[in-house]
Amino acid sequence: MILTGPAIAEAVKAGHITIDPFLPQHTNPNSHGYRLGDTLKVFTRTPVDPRTSPPTRTITIPARGYRLRPGRVYLGSTVERIGSDHYVTSLIGRSSVGRLGLFTQISADLAQLGAVHQWTLEIVVTQPLRVYAGMVIGQVSFWDVVGEPMPYAGYYGTLSDPSPFAPHALAGGGAVGLLPEVSAA
Amino acid sequence: MILTGPQIAGEVEEGRITISPFDTALLSPNSYDFHLSSDIGWYRRRWWGGRTLDCRRPNRFVRSTIPEEGMVLRPGRIYLASTAETIGSEHFVPIIRARSSTARTGLFVHCTADLIDLGSLGRLTLQFHAVQPVRVYPGQRIGQVTFWVPTGRRELYRGKYQGSTLPEPSQIWRDFEEEDARGAAA
Repeated sequence: MILTGPAIAEAVKAGHITIDPFLPQHTNPNSHGYRLGDTLKVFTRTPVDPRTSPPTRTITIPARGYRLRPGRVYLGSTVERIGSDHYVTSLIGRSSVGRLGLFTQISADLAQLGAVHQWTLEIVVTQPLRVYAGMVIGQVSFWDVVGEPMPYAGYYGTLSDPSPFAPHALAGGGAVGLLPEVSAA
Repeated sequence: MILTGPQIAGEVEEGRITISPFDTALLSPNSYDFHLSSDIGWYRRRWWGGRTLDCRRPNRFVRSTIPEEGMVLRPGRIYLASTAETIGSEHFVPIIRARSSTARTGLFVHCTADLIDLGSLGRLTLQFHAVQPVRVYPGQRIGQVTFWVPTGRRELYRGKYQGSTLPEPSQIWRDFEEEDARGAAA
């Protein structure tokens, strides 16, 4: 079952869902809006190779906004720390932003129970679009689970910066054996 | 929990789900197929020919009609189109998807915005992104809607797109106006 907006707000109050900071005006009938953080990362070399740490360039979104171009993925992050031990989070976009052709993730909407962090967004635009830090860019929904819980042992769920893929995680590794990020100056 | 096709039909009959017009032939085991209407639109180029959209400002939008012989959607731009059906529910959360046949043509029917608010009612605005050129036809069976059981107190949608009958451009610029107004009031 999917939680209604009031149920999300109650679960946040009860400590069963983390949305931090939690702004009540961002609650929708069955989801909660999240905001775009001010940092984006882009890969500086293609083809991207899943076996090597990718060089990235960091972009800070200025007050006048930043123009996203099609044909590449921008890694962003949510302003809010989001996650839950009790409900499965699903990360989606928002109608007002989808109507401008922006995707907030690339067929990877499912969070894992227990991962609480600022989510990395995989932003793709269909046509050039100016975005602003702090705008509500998407929403999360929360879903009931059935069955015995399993502790979260993943890697990305421990990160709060916009994070590129990690070769060890792609190969199936968990939180151990973290590799330093390679950054192109 | 997701509703089965027969359950969707039952809820439509009970008035707890609106799908209008409704035809049992469009039911699947756990979804209902909807059609593309002939209404479509896209954002105008700027006077200097630029195609950049801006979240903070209204973007000029032009509406058009898909002719009977179809219309080719091109990659590199977002098209907004309407479903032929009026769809909504105050009791179950609708989530939309492409039909598999549509997806196989390389057409996205939404841009990561599949979730419909409880209480929202109207002809849905589809967000078309064509990966490669693809022709669409008015009346085409293009997508499907699923219905999910919510838990918790219900607060219904009263947003800016309520009751849409035509493809509606983004009104996200209103967020910025509201924010500016709050800032000015503070």
